[in-house]
Amino acid sequence: MGKLKVYADRMSQPSRAVIIFCRISGIDFEEIKVDISKGQHLSPDFTEVNPLQKVPAIVHGSLKLSESHAILVYLASAFTGIADHWYPTELSRRSKINSVMDWHHSNLRNGAVNYAINTTLAPALGRQLNPKAASEAEKVLLSSLKTLEDIWLDGDGGFLCNGIQPSLADLSMVCELMQLEVLDERDRNRILSPYKKVLQWIENTRTATNPHFEEVHNILYKAKKKFEQQRARTAETGTSPSNKTGGYSKI
Amino acid sequence: MLKVKVYADRMSQPSRAVLIFCKVNGIEFDEIKVEISKRQQLSPEFADINPFKKLPAIVDGRFKLFESHAILIYLASAFPGIPDHWYPADLSRRARVHSVLDWHHLNLRHGAAPFVLHTVLAPVLGLPLNPQAAAEAEKILISSLSKLENIWLKGNGRYLLGGLRPSIADLSLVCEIMQLELLDEKDQERILGPHKKVQQWIESTRDATRPHFDEVHKVLYKVKEIIRAKKSNQGDGVMQSRTKTPLASKM
Ligand SMILES: N[C@@H](CCC(=O)N[C@@H](CS)C(=O)NCC(=O)O)C(=O)O
Ligand SMILES: N[C@@H](CCC(=O)N[C@@H](CS)C(=O)NCC(=O)O)C(=O)O
Repeated sequence: MGKLKVYADRMSQPSRAVIIFCRISGIDFEEIKVDISKGQHLSPDFTEVNPLQKVPAIVHGSLKLSESHAILVYLASAFTGIADHWYPTELSRRSKINSVMDWHHSNLRNGAVNYAINTTLAPALGRQLNPKAASEAEKVLLSSLKTLEDIWLDGDGGFLCNGIQPSLADLSMVCELMQLEVLDERDRNRILSPYKKVLQWIENTRTATNPHFEEVHNILYKAKKKFEQQRARTAETGTSPSNKTGGYSKI
Repeated sequence: MLKVKVYADRMSQPSRAVLIFCKVNGIEFDEIKVEISKRQQLSPEFADINPFKKLPAIVDGRFKLFESHAILIYLASAFPGIPDHWYPADLSRRARVHSVLDWHHLNLRHGAAPFVLHTVLAPVLGLPLNPQAAAEAEKILISSLSKLENIWLKGNGRYLLGGLRPSIADLSLVCEIMQLELLDEKDQERILGPHKKVQQWIESTRDATRPHFDEVHKVLYKVKEIIRAKKSNQGDGVMQSRTKTPLASKM
């Protein structure tokens, strides 16, 4: 079987989760950049790999696979020597991890990604900011954070479902929350600071996966600086950033 | 061990998928009705079973689980003698089943459920109709159906991913689509009409899971009658005064 190919854009949360997982598990892989802001996910070559035109996607031998959770679960099962805590063999534990990963889609992801896009990222993706969509996304995001705090992070484990070590679900969801880094600092604090367990859990996951976590998130910290400068300029001149790139879709 | 308990409302698509799966595979279970239209999912007793207050949920011995996909995977793994096609042991095939199931959340489900809610179901639940939300949901629904038709149902098999026998993904997604039965004929034709493979696939899945499929979907046809009756009443100029108390939740 050829080397694993991972098609990814590090500005995309699910892409980051897959790359971090490969690195921390010592999986030998080739990272192929698909830059969404340049519309590369719409190219015929990438459409061959993933007709849904989304990142991440992988190619492993004859298998082409999309959807980050499916990819993570596949990697944890197909490669040897992956620590059991990532995707526990024991059925009831594994089922809980499946459950939280299912929950993620319509809740945390739905809230976080639409909030980040509609408050901050849209212009960089050639789209308009949409305050109404932002306020709807905010509701979903806040209710998801509360559910994380009160239910999924219930217990002293430090990770989801009272785990004492991270699972695929922790990695996926912490990467999702990390995109809030691009928000205005005050806004980010307003949203996250009431959730002490969530904050601690982000730190736990970061620590458990460093140095890979920080390295793969570097691009986000750079984007964060850029957005900060933009906001400062806007505050000085009263104009909003112009919209240079064409209309590509979403992160 | 005690029989597995399935908490379900047959008006809920993911509940139907779990019930049909149990019946088709001869899993012994107790169905415990939790009626969303009576807000029973919000009762303290049910919150003990599932703090998320959503259906379906299961209890197997001491083990509690929610999220229908996680439940289906658990059942397929925990009970002996379930035919392999439902949740294939082969890693690549299993990974592809996961991929469709993951895709489902923010695509087909994200379109179908709010579309039906905001076009026909809301009045039955005592909620106002929201045409704008319906229009947004319709876009997602139609784009999801076209991806099913052109990508997921590509190939010669009758089922998703070119399968010759149904998997849990077929069951989950077909149950989701079945709620379009509640729409009026014109809407149904407009939305499903162009998607011939999708129609064929619904029939194949129904055939493969008869008679349980029809039996579990009966309630849907009853509600369809209620909606029809309401409509024709309104057509006669008879005002509907018997609106039930408003409900906060959704199917
Ligand atoms: N549920 C998918 C989400 C994939 C997704 O939405 N990817 C985004 C980047 S984060 C993308 O490729 N967007 C491009 C587009 O929407 O056109 C997963 O977890 O992999
Ligand atoms: N992703 C979940 C969806 C669960 C869900 O949304 N259930 C609905 C019925 S279809 C529910 O319980 N709604 C009650 C409410 O929202 O209060 C699954 O597949 O199980």
